[in-house]
Amino acid sequence: MSHLLPLLIAVPIIGALVPAVLGARRPVISRRLTVGILVGQVGLAVAVLVAVAATGPRTYVVGGLPAAVGIGLRADAVSTVFVLLVAVTAAALYVTVRTDTTGPTDSLWLLFVAGLTGIAVTADVFNLYVFLEISGLAAYALVAGRHGTRAALAAFHYLLVGTIGATLYLLGVGYLYVATGTLGMAGLRADLAAVGYDSPLVVTAFVLVTVGLGVKLALFPLQAWKPDAYAVATPDVSALLATLGSTVPGYALVRLVFDVFTASFLDAVPLVRTGLVVVGVASVAAGGYFALRQSDVRRLLAYSSVLQMGLVVIGIAIATPAAVTAALVLLVGNAVAKGGLYAATGVFARRFGATTVDGYAGLGRDAPLTAGAVSVAFISLVGLPPTVGFAGKWYLVVAAVDSRAWVVVAVVLLSTLVSLAYAGRVVERLYLAAAPGGTEPVATDGGGLADGPARERTVVFVVVAALATVLVGLGSTELAAWFAPVVEGWL
Amino acid sequence: MTTFDALFGTMVGSRGAYVVYALLVGIGLFVLVDDDNLVKKIVGLNVFQTAVFLFFITAAYRADGRAPLLSATGPFVNPLPHVLILTAIVVGVSITAVALALVVRLYDEHGTFSETAIREARP
Amino acid sequence: MTDTVSVLPLAAVLLPTLAVPLIYAARTRPRLRETVTLAASIATLVTVWFAVQSPTTLVTPLGSFAGIPFALRADAAALLFALLAALLWVVTSVYSIGYLYALDEHAQTRYFAAFAVSIAATMGVAFAANLLTLFVFYELLTLATYPLVVHAGTAKARAAGRQYIAYTLGGGVAALGGIVLVGVLTGTVTFTPGGIDGLGATDTTLARIAFVLLVVGFGVKTALVPLHGWLPTAMVAPTPVSGLLHAVAVVKSGVFALGRTVLYVFGPETTWDLGLGLPLAAAAAATMVIAGVVGLRQDNLKRGLAYSTVSHLAYIALGLALATPVAVFGAFIHVVAHAFMKISLFFAAGLIYVETGEKYVSDLAGVGRRLPMTMTAFAIAAAGLIGFPLVAGFVSKFHLIVGAAASPHPAFVVAYLVAGVLKLLYFWPVIYTAFFGRRESDSSESRHPFAPPHATDGGYVEQAMWERRSLTREASPLLLAPVVATAAAAVLLGLFPTAFPFWALAEAVVVEVFG
Repeated sequence: MSHLLPLLIAVPIIGALVPAVLGARRPVISRRLTVGILVGQVGLAVAVLVAVAATGPRTYVVGGLPAAVGIGLRADAVSTVFVLLVAVTAAALYVTVRTDTTGPTDSLWLLFVAGLTGIAVTADVFNLYVFLEISGLAAYALVAGRHGTRAALAAFHYLLVGTIGATLYLLGVGYLYVATGTLGMAGLRADLAAVGYDSPLVVTAFVLVTVGLGVKLALFPLQAWKPDAYAVATPDVSALLATLGSTVPGYALVRLVFDVFTASFLDAVPLVRTGLVVVGVASVAAGGYFALRQSDVRRLLAYSSVLQMGLVVIGIAIATPAAVTAALVLLVGNAVAKGGLYAATGVFARRFGATTVDGYAGLGRDAPLTAGAVSVAFISLVGLPPTVGFAGKWYLVVAAVDSRAWVVVAVVLLSTLVSLAYAGRVVERLYLAAAPGGTEPVATDGGGLADGPARERTVVFVVVAALATVLVGLGSTELAAWFAPVVEGWL
Repeated sequence: MTTFDALFGTMVGSRGAYVVYALLVGIGLFVLVDDDNLVKKIVGLNVFQTAVFLFFITAAYRADGRAPLLSATGPFVNPLPHVLILTAIVVGVSITAVALALVVRLYDEHGTFSETAIREARP
Repeated sequence: MTDTVSVLPLAAVLLPTLAVPLIYAARTRPRLRETVTLAASIATLVTVWFAVQSPTTLVTPLGSFAGIPFALRADAAALLFALLAALLWVVTSVYSIGYLYALDEHAQTRYFAAFAVSIAATMGVAFAANLLTLFVFYELLTLATYPLVVHAGTAKARAAGRQYIAYTLGGGVAALGGIVLVGVLTGTVTFTPGGIDGLGATDTTLARIAFVLLVVGFGVKTALVPLHGWLPTAMVAPTPVSGLLHAVAVVKSGVFALGRTVLYVFGPETTWDLGLGLPLAAAAAATMVIAGVVGLRQDNLKRGLAYSTVSHLAYIALGLALATPVAVFGAFIHVVAHAFMKISLFFAAGLIYVETGEKYVSDLAGVGRRLPMTMTAFAIAAAGLIGFPLVAGFVSKFHLIVGAAASPHPAFVVAYLVAGVLKLLYFWPVIYTAFFGRRESDSSESRHPFAPPHATDGGYVEQAMWERRSLTREASPLLLAPVVATAAAAVLLGLFPTAFPFWALAEAVVVEVFG
C-alpha cells in the first residue's frame, strides 16, 4: 500500500508516453493501452479509497525525505472521493464519448488526469501550482483540438486567463513562503497561526491564492473564458472539462481555506469572509443572468457552472460543517450533472445538428432516452428532490439559516428559481415544441461523435450520469457522513 | 564584493526591487490585456510571469549569502526558492510554447497576428 | 396508537410507480395498458384499505436524506387523504379510459404513466412523516403533473404549463425556506400532533417568518388568493386531469400540507399565540368570497368549476385556520366531501364535452334532455357544494360553520354563508337552463346571467332542441358510471356519514391534535 499515492500520479504521467509513442503507428493498440491505463487509474483510486476507509488518512513523502523538506502527498476521505471522480470520469468519457482519438491528444487526456489527481492528493502548496499548470496546459491544448481557428482563439484566451490565474496563485504561494518559510500544508497551518492571521502578508497571500483558484472556478468577474472554451471544444473534451476542470480546483480551494488558513482565519479577518460571500453571490447572479440570455446550449451550461461555483464559494464563506459539506456535495453533484449534460449536447449536435435551445425543439421524441436523462440532470441542477443537487442546496440553506445569513438564504432559494428558468427553457423545447422540418444528421466541425455505436455509448454515459445524480442524492446522507470526519477536523 | 553586488544588495535591502517587480507585473498585464497583437500578448504574459519569478528569487536573497555548495562555508542564500522558480520557469516555457503553437495555427489560417482581425473573420 | 413498522405505506407509493414501466411496456396494446392502470389503482386501494384497518399506526422508515430522517407514517390524517385519493384513482382510471378513447387522444401512454406517478407522489405526500419527506413528494407531484397539464401540446397548454411550474415550484422554494427555518429553530421537522415543542417559544419572529413561508409555499397549491392564478389556466388539461388532479390530488395536497403545518408543525395553540391564525383565516375568507364572485363571470364550464374549487379549498383552509376541534373536523370531512362532489362535476363536464362538444355554459341550454342522468348527477353534486342537506357537502359545511361560530372569531360564519349564496348564484342558472332552457341561436337568455358574452358561431344552429335520449343510452358507460357513482357516493356520504371510514379518521385527527 505504501506507494499507492505516488502511483496515482505516476501512472497517468508515465502512461501519457504510451499514446504519444504508439499513437501514430499503432492506433488501435495505443487506444487499448490508454483504456487500460485509465481503468488502472480507477483501480488505484478505489484501492486508495478502501485503504483510507480502513485505516484513516494516509500521508506519503516523495523520495522518502523528511517531511519538512519533502513533497508530501495526502489522501483523506474527501480527496479520495475527488480522485475517484477524476479517474472514473476520464475513463468513462474516454470509453464512451471519445471517438476521434490521436496519440498526442490521448497523451493530453492522461496528463489532464495526472494534473487533477495531483491537485487532489498533494499536501504541498507549490506542488499544487505545478499540477494546476499541468492540468491547465493539458486543458488548453485539448480545447484547441486538432483543427479550427475558432477553437484555437478560445483556447488562447483560456490559456492567457488561466496562466494569469495560476501565476497569481504562485505569487500568493510566494507570500506564504516569505511569511512562514514552509510550503507543506500541515506546516503552514501551524505557522500561519503563529504569524498572525491579520498580518497583511497573510491576508494578501489568501487573496492572491483565492483569485488564482477563482479563475479556474470561473467565478465572477473572471468567468468569461468558460463559455467560450466549453462551447468550441469537442463533446468529449467539453464533458471532461465541465466535469472536472472546475471541480478539482474547487476542492483545492476548500482544502486551502480550511486546512491551511483554517476557519479561524475567516473569523479573524471578516473582510475576507464578506469578500467571499460577495464573490459567491455575484457569481450566482451573473451565472443565472447570462444563462437565461444564452441561445447556445453549451454556453448556457457553462454559465450554469458559474452559478453552481458561486454556491460552492458561499458554502466556503459560511464555514460551518454543514456549509462545507454543502460545498463538497455541490461540487460532486455539479460535476456529475454537467458531465452527462455536455455529453448529451454532443449527441444532439452530431445526430441532429442542434446546438441552440431552439434547435432542440421536439428532440424529446427523437431521442427519448437522452432527453429524459437531460431532464433528470437539469432537475439536479435546479435542486429538486431527490437529486444530489437538492441535497447540496439543502445543506447550504440549513447552514445559512443556522448562521442567520439571510441574504445568503434568499440568494440560494432564488438561484433555484433562476436555474428553473433556464433549465425549463431547454426541457420545454425538448418535449413540447414541434420538431423543425428535416432532422437529417448534419456534419458538424471535426472531432464529434461518429454515428452508430459510438453514439449509443454516449447515450449510455448520459443516462448513467443522470441516474448517478439521483443515486448520489439518495445516498447524500452517507456521503455527508463519509466527509464528516475530515470536515469536522477542519472546523 | 563587486559593484553589482553592492547595488543589488542595496536595492533589495531597501525593498526597492519589489517596486520594480510590481511595475513589471503591471506592464505585463497591461500589454497582455491591451495589445492587439497575439505575439505581444504572449510577451506580456512572459513579463508578468517573470516579475513573479523575480519576486520569489529576491525573497531568497540573504545579505552576504553565498552559493549553497557543500564545499563552501558561511551563510548561504536560501536555495529553495531557486528550485521552485526553476520549475516555474519550465512551466512558463511550456505555456509559451503552447501559446505560440496556437498563434501559429491562427496565423496560418488568417495571415495576421491581430486579434480584432481574427475575431471579425471568424465564421 | 403505537407505531409498528410495516411495508404497507411504502407499498402504496410503490405500486403506482411500478405500474409505470409496465404501462410503457404495454404501449402498443391499449387494452393491456389500460388493464395495468386499473389493476394498479385497485391494488393501491386495497393496500390503503388494509392500512386503514390496521389497529396500530404503520410506519416505514426509509433511512435519511441529507441528514433528515425520511419516513412514511400512516396516521389518521394520512389515511384519510390516501384512502380518498386511492378510491378516486380507481374511478378516474375508468373515466380516463373512456374519455381518451372517445376523443381518440394522442400520447395516451404518457398520460397514463404520468397519472400513475402523480398518484404515487400523492400517496407520498399523504403518508409523509415529516416536512422534508412531504416536500420531496410535493415537488415530485408537481413534476409528475406537468406532462398532464401540457398534454394537448398546444401553445395555450404550454403557456399554462409554464405558469403552473412557475407558481408551484416558486411556492416550493418558499416552502423549502420555511422547512429549513423550522428545522433550525426546533431541531426536527417531524409531524407532531398539536405542534412541535418549542416552536415559537424562543425566536418568535423567525417562527412567524417560517409560518408565512410555509403558508405561501403550500398556499400556491391550495390556490389561496392571490396565488391561485395557475388553477383556472390549468383547466386546459384533459378533464380527467382537471378532475382528479386539480380538484383532488394536487390542490388537496396543498391544503393537506397546510393542515399539517397548522396542526402538526405549529399546532393550533402556537399558531394563534403567534398571531398567525387570524391573517390566515382572513386570507381564506377573502379567497372564498373573491373566487365565488369571479367564478360567476365564467362561461367556460371548467373554469367556473375551477373557481368553485378555489372557493371550497378556502372553506377547508378557514376551518384549519380557526383551529377549533369542530372546525378542524369539518375541514377534514370537507376534504372528502368536496372531492367527491367536485370530481363528479368535472366528470360531468368532460362527459358533456365528449358527447356534445360543448364547453361553454351558454351553449348548454336544454342539454338535460340529451344527458338526463349526467345532469341529474351534476345537479346533485352542485347542490352538495351549495350546501343543501342530504348531500355530503351539508354535513361538512355544518361542522365548519359550527366550528367557526365556536371560535374566538365567529364573524367568519358570514364568509361561509356568503360563499354559499355565491355558489347558488352560479349553479342555479346552469342547472335551470340545462333542464328547462331552450337552445336558441343568438338568444341572450340562454347565456349565464353574469357571464360576459363570448363569440358564437355566427348564429348557425343545428337544432333548436337537443334530442332526447333514454337513460341508458346517453353516453358511454365508462364515462357515465363514474359520474353517477361519485354523485351517488356524495349522497351516501351525506345520508350515512358515519358509515364510511372517513368520519372515524377525521375524529381520530381531532382527538390526536387537540388531546
